[in-house]
Formats: sequence, C-alpha cells, structure tokens
Amino acid sequence: MIIAIGREFGSGGHEIAELIANRLQIFLIDDKLLYDLSSEKKIPYEELKKYDERPKVPFLSRTVAGYTNAMEEHLAKMQFDYLRKMAEGGESFVIVGRCAEHVLKDFPCLTSAFISGNKDTKCKRVMEKYKLSAEEAKKLMKKKDSTRKAYHNYYCEGKWGDSRNYDLCLNSSQIGVEGAADVILSYVERKQKN
Amino acid sequence: MTQQVISIAIFVIMFGVIISEKIERHIVSLAAGFLMLVIVLGICMKSPEAIWNTLNFKEFVTPSFWYAKTEGAGSSVGINWATIVFILGMMIMVEGMGRAGFFRWLCLTMAKAVRYKALPLFLVFMVTSFVLAMFIDSITVILFLAAVTVELAEVLHFSPVPMILAEIFCANLGGSATMCGDPPNIIIGTSLGYTFGEFLQNTGAIAGISLVFVIAYFFFRFRKELTKGAEVNASTYPEPSSAIQNKKDFAISCVIFGCAVVLLVTHAMTGLTVATIGTFIAALTLLTSLKAAPMLLKKVDYKTLLFFVGLFVVVGGLEQTGVLNIIADFIHQICGNHSYVMVAVILWVSAIASAFVDNIPFAATMIPVIQSLAATTGMDLSVLSWTLACSTDIGGSATPIGASANVVGVSIAAQNGHMIGWGRYCKTMLPVTIITMLISMLCIFLRYL
Repeated sequence: MIIAIGREFGSGGHEIAELIANRLQIFLIDDKLLYDLSSEKKIPYEELKKYDERPKVPFLSRTVAGYTNAMEEHLAKMQFDYLRKMAEGGESFVIVGRCAEHVLKDFPCLTSAFISGNKDTKCKRVMEKYKLSAEEAKKLMKKKDSTRKAYHNYYCEGKWGDSRNYDLCLNSSQIGVEGAADVILSYVERKQKN
Repeated sequence: MTQQVISIAIFVIMFGVIISEKIERHIVSLAAGFLMLVIVLGICMKSPEAIWNTLNFKEFVTPSFWYAKTEGAGSSVGINWATIVFILGMMIMVEGMGRAGFFRWLCLTMAKAVRYKALPLFLVFMVTSFVLAMFIDSITVILFLAAVTVELAEVLHFSPVPMILAEIFCANLGGSATMCGDPPNIIIGTSLGYTFGEFLQNTGAIAGISLVFVIAYFFFRFRKELTKGAEVNASTYPEPSSAIQNKKDFAISCVIFGCAVVLLVTHAMTGLTVATIGTFIAALTLLTSLKAAPMLLKKVDYKTLLFFVGLFVVVGGLEQTGVLNIIADFIHQICGNHSYVMVAVILWVSAIASAFVDNIPFAATMIPVIQSLAATTGMDLSVLSWTLACSTDIGGSATPIGASANVVGVSIAAQNGHMIGWGRYCKTMLPVTIITMLISMLCIFLRYL
C-alpha cells in the first residue's frame, strides 16, 4: 500500500500523512528520504536539503546532450529512483510531495491525495508553527506554494493540485487534519475491498 | 532601419528562448533562421540574392571548399558549411573511437603509468584532458575522463570533484589551443581563413603558457586533499585492457585518429580543407566498420548541427542588414584607435559573455564584428581573432553553464553523488579563469601590440 500526499503549504498535509502512517503502522517518507539518500550516496544531509523539492533555476542551469548542471534535477531523479525502488520492493509507505502521484502512477497499490485549505486557516497554522506575523506567513505561503508548483509541473505531465491527477482532493480547513486522514483511510479501505 | 530592428528582435528572442530551455535549441535557431530569411531578407530587403548568399549552398561547388593551399577562400557570410561538414566528420570518428574503447583505455593506461597514485593522476589527467581537447570535442573528453575519474576515486578513496573541475578547465583550455578544439575556433578558422598551424602558433602558445599556471593553481589548491588517500588493495585497480571490447576495432580507431591528427596538422601544406578532412575521416570510419555504420550515423548529434545551420542564418541576417557593422562602430567609438583598449574590451566582454551564454552563437556573431573593426581601424585581424578565440573558449570555464564540458562534468559528478553547485564550482573555477584571462591578455599585449 502506497499513499502519496500532495499539499499546499500550511494545509496540514504533513500532519495528515503522519497520522495515516501511524494508524497504518507504515513508513512515512518525507525527510527520511533525504537521510536515506544522504547515507547511501555519502552526501551531507544539509547539501541535499538545499535542493529538495525545488525547481531548477532558469538562466542558471543548462542542459547539454541530456546532461544538466542543475543539482535540483539530480536530487529529484535520485528521489524518484528511490521511490520506484521502494515501490518495486513491495514496501508500504506514505510519501509527502516529491511528485509521487506521478512517479508511482503505474503501481496499482497507489492512492494519491491533494490537500488544500482556506487561506485564513493555512495562515493561522503557519503563524503558529513558525512564529510569524500574518504578513510574513502569507508571504512564506506564497513563496513555498509557488516553488512546489514549479517543481511539480517541471517533472509531471499533470498540473499541481489539478483534481484529475489525484484520487482525492480535500480541503483540510473544512474537515480538519483528523477528518482528512479519516477520509483518505476509508477510501484506501474501500479501494482494497474492490 | 526596419529590417535592422526586426533582425535584432529575432536574434534577441532566439537567444532568450535558447537560454530558457523551454524549446530545444535547434528548433529555436532554425525557426529564427527561417524568420530571418523570410521577413528580413525576403519581405523587408526584397533581396533573393541576400537569401541565396546566406544559405551559401554555392560553397559546396566551390573548389576552394574542398581544396585550397590555404583556407583563405573562407567566408563569414551565411551558413558556414565547412564547419558543419567538419564537425559531422569528427562526430562520426569520435563515436567510432568511443565504441572501440579508445578513450577509456587511454585514461586507464595513464592511470597505470602513474601507478594509480592520486596526486600524479591528478596532474596527468589535466594534461590528458588538455591534449585530447586539442583534437576532440570537449564533451567527449570530459564524458570519458570524468567517468574514469569517478571510478578511480572510488577505488583510491579520494574525492573526484577537484580532479573533475581541473579536467573541465583543461579541456576548455586545450580546446582553445587549436583550430578544431572548440566550435568557436572552427568557425573563426573557416570563416577567416586560418590554418591549424596558425592557431597552434598563436592560441596554442597562449594556452600552453597558461597550462603551466593552471596546473600550479590546481596543484597548490588541492594537493592536501589528494595526498590523504587510504591504503588500497592493488587487485581492485581497473586494467586498461578491460576497456578494449574488440582489438581490431580498437586498432582501426587508433589509426583513424592518427590520420585525423596528421591531416589537420599538415592541412596548410597539403591544401586539404577541414571540410575535406571531415568528409575523409567520416568515410574512413564508416567504411572500416560497415556493420556498425548505421549505428554510428544514428548516434551523430544532428540537433547540434541543425542548431549551427539556424544560427549561421540568423548571424548572416544580422550581417546583411548591417547590424554587426553598427556594433563594430560602437566598439570603435568606445576604444578609439587604441589597440590595447580594443583587445582588452573584446577579451573581457567576450569572456564574461561566454561565462553565461553559449559561446558558439557569441563567437559566430563577433566574427563579422571583428572583421569590420579590423577594416575600419586598420588593426591586424588575426590579433582580434586570437583574442576572440581565447576569450570565448576560456571565459566559458568560469561558471557551470559557460561551456558544454562544464555541464557534462558537473552532471557526471552529481550522478555519482558529488554535488557541485554554483558556489562550489565558482569558488574554484572563477579565480583560475581570471588568472588565465590575464595571462592571455598579457601574452597578446606583449606579442602582437
């Protein structure tokens, strides 16, 4: 069983993924992915973190005969290979972001969900979590979402957050983090029965 | 005036779209070339003659295209077919050599010769990179050298990053030493009629002097990192013979490469043009490996050749509309008749531009500019040519995107878990690029002015 969660910044997507992983007693792959790659490839974690879930910077990167100098792209490919390897090995896990709904789309055991939220609720969550003012939180949300969108849309055929690319699209502001986790879990359960 | 504005707009948009990488660069340059022919030369200038001159098909039936005592018949107007035919021929030859295991064998032989010791290997691979890049495109040189470097670094327990960076720099420097080392040099040589020997005596001498300083720079910068390798089991060393898949193919590829080098070095004496040498080398490679011929032809990088075609048309359009003369006049106004200032301006502007944009379109655009400058100021065209060649070839080393070899080297390192971002790259490469540019400037000042 693989559950891929895409999310807007501040929507609680990570908490939802954590909750699902705990309830199902399976791995949550988020930062773990970077730690695993760091020890496998012997690259410092901080160095990988710099390029994680970021689009390559236009005008600062170039591609020649299929080779690129964009470290963001190299890390993304390492992560996609890692996810495919995990899936091929029959592992069950919850993965947050990393274009997983696209990278693992050929695995029938995949359930994908996109978590969005109302601006005010997301802003409140970001303010609390990062101890920011409302203005700073809004700025950060805008920046993070635009980075995630650009990263996703560079590697995937479908657009970030487009309902056609996910099994479920949920607004966490309406049903809360627990509610969203419940909906996803019940969907997975029904899917397995079918 | 209208045609000039439109041709500049086409050129600028083409450059912008190429840099953005939204569309493959050969499609962009061909589309821009088509627009230049139809809108600027056809509709605005109403000149079928200008279109015909830009397409330059007549070059193929000109005897001097195939045989000339010098390359003097070269022309900078329109498509430079000699460059395209020569690069095509070299691509086929290099593909054949790679298939036979030549490059891997050479790298491993060098490693064995220095008994797989990290520091001597570092120095030998720098020189190997420099020498190979004098005759073969830098992408191929780095593709093989960096791959072997990563492999040896695993076995010998050292970081391959310093070595890959040094190889990249030396490949770009070696490319500047000869007429066939880097595409800008081929274009400059065929357009302005210089020979292999003339390049070697001029840009080659500058590159040779620079190499001494470059080796010293990398040695002192990384010697501590490369001398602290751990104990290694000698049985794990890769053997050069393991690189050779087929001894017959290997021997043939060595002979063909030798022929190419001899023909290039002697072409001023034999009268064979680079187009003839390219055609001959390609034919020889294909005829000696008939079974593999379709595969060799399939592996040719046609996209790059098409990119060149489109690019030459666009630059030809700029030239026909007089835009490049305006640029030349502008440089003349800034520099006056001070040859030192002119050389310095061309050198540093070209080097900085090449560090951020593809040096091929830049050099192609600058050739008519320096021709015009030489005509109006009376300055020796060859001095401006060597200045342009050195600056576009070496300036590209400064950033990870400045030259193809940089991108390939950095990418191979990253694929093997060695991330080289802009900061790490520039920290090492920017100072050595500046040092080399200063040496080049000094050499040009002292020798020619």
